[in-house]
Parts: sequence; C-alpha cells; structure tokens
Amino acid sequence: MSTLFSTLLLSLFMQVDSPPAGGVLFRDFSLKQAGGGYYTSAAHKDLKGMVLVFTCNHCPFARLYTQRLNNLARTCDSAGVQLLAINAMDTLVYEDETLEAMTLRAKTEGWKFPYLQDADQSVAAMMGAVCTPQVFILWKEQKHWVMRYSGAIDSNGQEPELAEAYAAEALKDLLAGTMVRTPSTQAFGCRIYYRKQQP
Amino acid sequence: MAQYQTLHIPQALYGKEFQLTLKDSFRQLRPGNQTITSGVNGDFWGPTLFINKGDTVRMDVLNKLNDSTTLHWHGFHLPAVMDGGPHQVIPPNTRWKPYWKITNQAATYWYHPHLHEMTQEHMTKGLGGLIIVRDSVEAALALPRTYGTDDIPLVLSSRRYDASNQFVFTNTAYGDYLLTNGTPNAQYTFPRQMVRLRILNAETERGFILGFSDNRTFYVIGNDGGLLEAPVSLTRLPVFVGERYEILVDLSGLSEGSTLDLKAYNSGQTLGFPGGEPGTDGQFGSLLNNKDFSVLHIIIGAQTAKPILSLPASLVKQNYLSAADATNSRALSITAGQPANNPFRFDNKLFDINYINHTVLKNTTEKWSVTNNNVFGHCFHIHDVQFKIVSRSSGPIGAYESGWKDAFFINRNETVSFVARFSDQADPQHPFMYHCHFGNHEDEGMMGQFVVSEPTQGNGPSTAASKFQIYPNPVGDRLYLNRSEAPDGVYYISIISASGKTVMMLPRPELHQGIDVSHLAPGVYYLHITSENKKQSTVSFIRR
Repeated sequence: MSTLFSTLLLSLFMQVDSPPAGGVLFRDFSLKQAGGGYYTSAAHKDLKGMVLVFTCNHCPFARLYTQRLNNLARTCDSAGVQLLAINAMDTLVYEDETLEAMTLRAKTEGWKFPYLQDADQSVAAMMGAVCTPQVFILWKEQKHWVMRYSGAIDSNGQEPELAEAYAAEALKDLLAGTMVRTPSTQAFGCRIYYRKQQP
Repeated sequence: MAQYQTLHIPQALYGKEFQLTLKDSFRQLRPGNQTITSGVNGDFWGPTLFINKGDTVRMDVLNKLNDSTTLHWHGFHLPAVMDGGPHQVIPPNTRWKPYWKITNQAATYWYHPHLHEMTQEHMTKGLGGLIIVRDSVEAALALPRTYGTDDIPLVLSSRRYDASNQFVFTNTAYGDYLLTNGTPNAQYTFPRQMVRLRILNAETERGFILGFSDNRTFYVIGNDGGLLEAPVSLTRLPVFVGERYEILVDLSGLSEGSTLDLKAYNSGQTLGFPGGEPGTDGQFGSLLNNKDFSVLHIIIGAQTAKPILSLPASLVKQNYLSAADATNSRALSITAGQPANNPFRFDNKLFDINYINHTVLKNTTEKWSVTNNNVFGHCFHIHDVQFKIVSRSSGPIGAYESGWKDAFFINRNETVSFVARFSDQADPQHPFMYHCHFGNHEDEGMMGQFVVSEPTQGNGPSTAASKFQIYPNPVGDRLYLNRSEAPDGVYYISIISASGKTVMMLPRPELHQGIDVSHLAPGVYYLHITSENKKQSTVSFIRR
C-alpha cells in the first residue's frame, strides 16, 4: 500500500510542469561513497540529469541488476548524466550493508558507478524510496531538478533479454528531448525499512 | 490447456535441532517478471521438519527478512513463551531460539508467521512449512510413509497477482491462481498402490471440497492432531483454513500412465462457504470462486518395491474427551462484520495485546462453545491444545472430523462446541491465542488471548531483583550465567547490541551449556534478563 501511496505522491509531483516551489522536492546531499570519500551533489552543477538507483547488498532481486546498471551507467557517462547507486538500508539492522561490505561488493562486481551510503536514510525519505531496486530519474530543467521517471529498472529481473527497459527508455526519451513515454512504473523488491519504524 | 509443472516436494529435515532462516527472495511463478516472495531456507515456503514424539526440539530461527515477523508452531502443546504468537516479535536480523518437548501425537502440523496485522502479507509471500511428528504407535501401522513417494504433502493456497506479477495481499480474501506446494498447475506421479496425502489448507480464506475426478472413495486417517481410530471412507472432504487431513487413496486398480485429478468441487456451495461468492474480482471475488478446479494432476506410475496395498481396518485407540469431562464452560460469540469496515471480532472486542480475554486454570478440562450468528463462515483455531469437537448445532459431527483437532470451520448460524484439556503449560506472563484463521480476519483483530494459570498462581510478593554474573567477560563463543544468583529461574534473555538492536531472543534459555554467542560480531552487548517473577536486570559484556 505504501508503494502505491508513494507512486501516487510522485505522480502528483510529476504533473507539475514548473519546478516545485522552494526546492521542496530536491535538496542537495553529500553521502559517503564506497571506496572512500563523499559524493556531493552540489559539486556537480553541470549535470543534465541524475539516475538515482536505490539498491542494497542483501536483496536477491536487487542483486540481479549489476550488469544492467553498468550498461545504464555507460549511457549516462557519455551524456552528462550521473548514475548513483544509493544504499539506504539501516546498518544497525543489516550487518551486510556496511560501507565496507558495499566497497567490497562494488569492487568485486566491477561497478562502473558510485555506490553511496544514505546512512540517515534522508535521501531515500526525500525521494520516497520504498524498496530495492527502485529508480528515480531527475532532470535539470531551468536550474531545478524535476522528477521524470520513477519505478522499476525494467520489467524482468531474471531475464533481461525479455525485459522492457523502463529506466533506459526513459533516459533515452529525456536525452532526445521528448516526453518520457512511461514516466512511472511499479517498483518492488526488498522493503526499505525506515529506522523510526524499527521495533 | 494448462502446462503442468512437477509438484515441488519441500525439502525434508530430520533431527532435533533445526536452523530456519527467513528471507526475502523471488520466484518465477508466471510468464514475465518474477514475483517477490519470502521463504524459509529457500525462496518460497519452507522445509518439512520431521520430528519424533518425546524428543526435545530446538529451533534456531533467524529473521533475515526486511521486516519483523513471528513464527508459530501450529498445533503444538508447548510453553506459551515458545509458541511464536504475536508477542514473540522477531526483528530483522535477530535470532529466536525456542525449544520444547514434543508431546503431540504423530500427525501433520505446520509453522507460519503470526505477526498481528501482517499475517496475511507474510503468509501470502510464502512463509511457512510443515512439521511431521512421528511416534511409535503410528510407526507400528502398515501405512505409506516414504516422503515424496507414497507419502505426499499437499499445501493448498492461491494467489492474486497485480499487473507486475506481484502478490496482492490487501483488500483481497482470495487468490485467482492455485499453488500446490508453491507449484502452479501442479502434477505428480503417484505409484500404483495406496498413497497417503497430508493436506494442509494454507489459504487466506478459501475452503476446498476435495475429491477425485473419478469420484473414487478415499479414506481419512488423520486429523490436525493425530490419527483417527479407524479410516473414514468418503468421496468428498471439506478442508478449511488451517486444517490438516491425512488421507489414503488406493490407486492399485489403475493402469500405469493413466491420469486423474484431485479436485476442489467448490461450485454451488451455500452462502457462508469461503470461496463460494460469485464474483470474479474485487475483495471477495476470485477467478476460482464458485468453481470446480484441479489442485493436483495425478499420473499413475509403477509400484514401489514394498507397496502398501491394503487399508488398515483400525488405526489408533484414542482416549477422546467428551462433554461430560468438562468442569468449566465458556461461550464465545462472533460479532460485528457488518456493515463493511467493521471488522469481525469475538464478543464485541477486537484483539488487544494488553488484554487477557480468558484465564484458564492449569489441568482443567473445559468446554468452549463458539457461536456464529453472523453473516459468513469462519475458521476457529486455538493454540496450546488439541481438542475434540463434541457438538455442531447444524447437525451431526462429520466422522472425518471426529479426531483431535485444533481448527474447525464454523458456518453462519451455527454453534460448535469442543472440549480440551489445558495441562502442563502454566504461564501467567505469556498468553496463548484463539482466533479466526482467515489471515485477513485475524489481521483485523478477530483474535483473543488466554493465559493458563496455576490454581495458586497470582501476583504474589515479588522477590528482590535478581543479581547475576556472567562469565567469562570478555567472552569468546559461549557465555555462562551464574544461576545461583537468579534463584527464581530465568524466564527470558535478550541480547542487545551496543546500538540498541535486539540480536538474540532466548525464551527460558537452557543455561547449563551456556549461551552460544559465536555468531555475534565483536563488540559490546547488553544481556537483559527477565526472571520467572518478572524481575528485570541488565549486564553488559564484550564479545571478543
């Protein structure tokens, strides 16, 4: 139900053609990066867009997507768009989601994009992320970030060759300067448990 | 025509100690995207645990879900604090270690989540498993018992999928597609001999009127909590939510390669039958409603080396309770439910985890009468005991349900009475549950709780807070408690990490061998102890 609710909430935002007043939707963030250092969004003013992928180490469904995210990152890199994988799982609960574990995984699997730790879950909360994997594509329009796609990476976790590549198609539309044909889909996978809900 | 898939037979685990890891996963259930599921030691449903009466079994339950849950041992007589009801909430990444001595008879039991307001979701995702108890009495009978060959588990449930192939578990009482042991369109090869089926209805609401497509006679040999005294022959068997039936079917007269179906003959049922509603969608509609459908396509295969070919004339001599044995009676009513959005409940009271609805004195035999003058049927289930149904106001009790039971269907305009003995397990601190086993109904509060109390038990003067010492500290793999300083006994130990997260839950821990903390990461922890007299104290330790 919460998935549905947040999808509705996001679609409300998406119907707004002018950027939301006061930057309600988007606030710059600075997150620790696997492998060292921080990724600070404000330091990347020239980006056309950002592809935020909420993912994690222990979710079997999210783990299916490494290769596809590398492919998507390649498209992004050549187009002035940044793909960021964000891990918002609570490390107090999930010991396999520590920065060390993230670093190990990104290195072992050869990730071609930053893997960031949303330690206080604030970026996930800002975006309304509910599960992993879940994608949000933000596009820079008149100096404001506007949500142009939210939902699943594609329509088939285990059989990429059969999948409709929702996020990649949305990115293609945006780079071509056209309306995103499918601006939202249903995301599902492993629930992001927000810390204040912890028993 | 349906593309049949081979029936999944859950992995069999044997022994006295079981490691059960609950985790999120996914499974290809339909063409297109995979469905997000949960499983126990796997991606959907869980292993079948084979245990022997008389053994003390130890469960090591690790919750790796992205959600809190509980695990209830359905049908077992055991201490309330081990029972896994809504009170024993296991947070994510926490280990819960209940144990108990098996006093139940040989029969088919099960385990499933029981977290209040979340049971339907967690069960729909696939959490649960069967437990098969064996004992010497059953072992002496000439019954099929080669698991997966002539002794077949059949867990029946259905699912509704959304447009993305994901399970729907809100505002829906029924699935649209049947899963048999998690397999869609299941088929299996049965040997040409006597075959034993252990049937569990693990649905949210739907009942099944089971029978074979050639209308052959089959035989009920067991109910929820034990074998019957003698096989009961019939051609149609109603199986409602939470109930287990063991049946024998004689396939020796069929030729190899021939087929038949085990079917649900659910069309044309009267109002009140769960799954008889005429609609095909919405909260109470379903593509399977008011229809006859296959639950298993059966192919007849070769006989095994030592087939069972005859039906035992008698099974087990049981000392059943009768109404005359009861020294106390209770009456429960099913109330509310109408208008819509007014959840069903017992006796006008929704479940309140802080309210004990009934107190039962230990070692008493009681008669409980449940009355349903309401709009729809329900499935009543009570924890702790196996009971004997002693009357149905609607007519005679079916011979097929005349054994030990822990769940029954109660139709509208019916009163069902049962007699149970509440022995052994007194615990004034921790209640047992009784509830409607429809997942949606229990989630909405159609549950009550009772404690079993010693006749002399009360909130007497409590002793001073226990002091206790733990050693060694820092600790390696095993932590010991100086018990002489907890004279009233240890009721519960929780181990909590320095960051405040509960990592281990140990009901009435067996302390003589110490506490295995080998899986804990190095760091500071708190050991929180509750004594039998409800005294609480905490001490810290360091895991090396």
